[in-house]
Amino acid sequence: MTDEHSELTISRTIHAPRSAVWAAWTEREHFEKWWIPEPIKCQVVMMDLHPGGGFATRMSEDGGQTFKPHVEGCFLEIVPKERIVFTTCLTENWRPFDPWLALTAIITMEDEGGHTKYTARVLHKNQEESRKHQEMGFEEGWGTTLEQLDKVAVDLVAQRQ
Amino acid sequence: MGNYSASLDKAFRALSDPTRRAVLSRLINGPVSVKELAEPFEMGLPSFLKHIKVLENSDLIASKKEGRTRTCYLKPKQLAKAEHWLGRQRALWEARTDRLAEYARSLASKESVK
Repeated sequence: MTDEHSELTISRTIHAPRSAVWAAWTEREHFEKWWIPEPIKCQVVMMDLHPGGGFATRMSEDGGQTFKPHVEGCFLEIVPKERIVFTTCLTENWRPFDPWLALTAIITMEDEGGHTKYTARVLHKNQEESRKHQEMGFEEGWGTTLEQLDKVAVDLVAQRQ
Repeated sequence: MGNYSASLDKAFRALSDPTRRAVLSRLINGPVSVKELAEPFEMGLPSFLKHIKVLENSDLIASKKEGRTRTCYLKPKQLAKAEHWLGRQRALWEARTDRLAEYARSLASKESVK
């Protein structure tokens, strides 16, 4: 059963062969260039591409002087140039982990006439369990915007009561 | 779904500016004329009107003209969407996928030159 309240599917036709998309995803120096938006710097700590392999990134908001944890997870399935599945509910070697945002991402790459059809399906916990993620805006430099947005939204709710 | 995320992207872009956030905060208490909204800001009216235009295009506010006065008011629906955590996640993954697409494309063109 799909749940529109806790699941996302994002698809793009990427104008590059699958080998380039695969390299951009799986090679550290490439991955660090797009995973987090500029000017925040991304560093890959672990990218062990096999089931049970660790996946960890860190981010720096001060130009690379200090880094803090970003994503910590575990790969569940790797099919070269076709499919990457990872979850943040486990870390390296299947060790259970209680992340600040539980998700499983299913990435697929298919040929599409010399280009690549790229799909990311992202599964989250159901809505009730996701209440705590209200505070999760402090990721990827959205902090200020979302702080303000939350304030506006809270005021809005207060007005209506 | 494409429209949904595109409109959400617009909302987040609109919210990325301190002047526009201040305008939104002010409108929470009710409709305000453009003239009154502009007063606290040290910028010319044409620049301020650009900010109003961005907010209108992102569907966060609307305005109506009565006589010589244009009044702005909040449209809470779009704001509520952007506030929802899944909306934020969608915007995040959409932007991330766009960056990957762009990066892979440039990677492929570099490799074909070699």
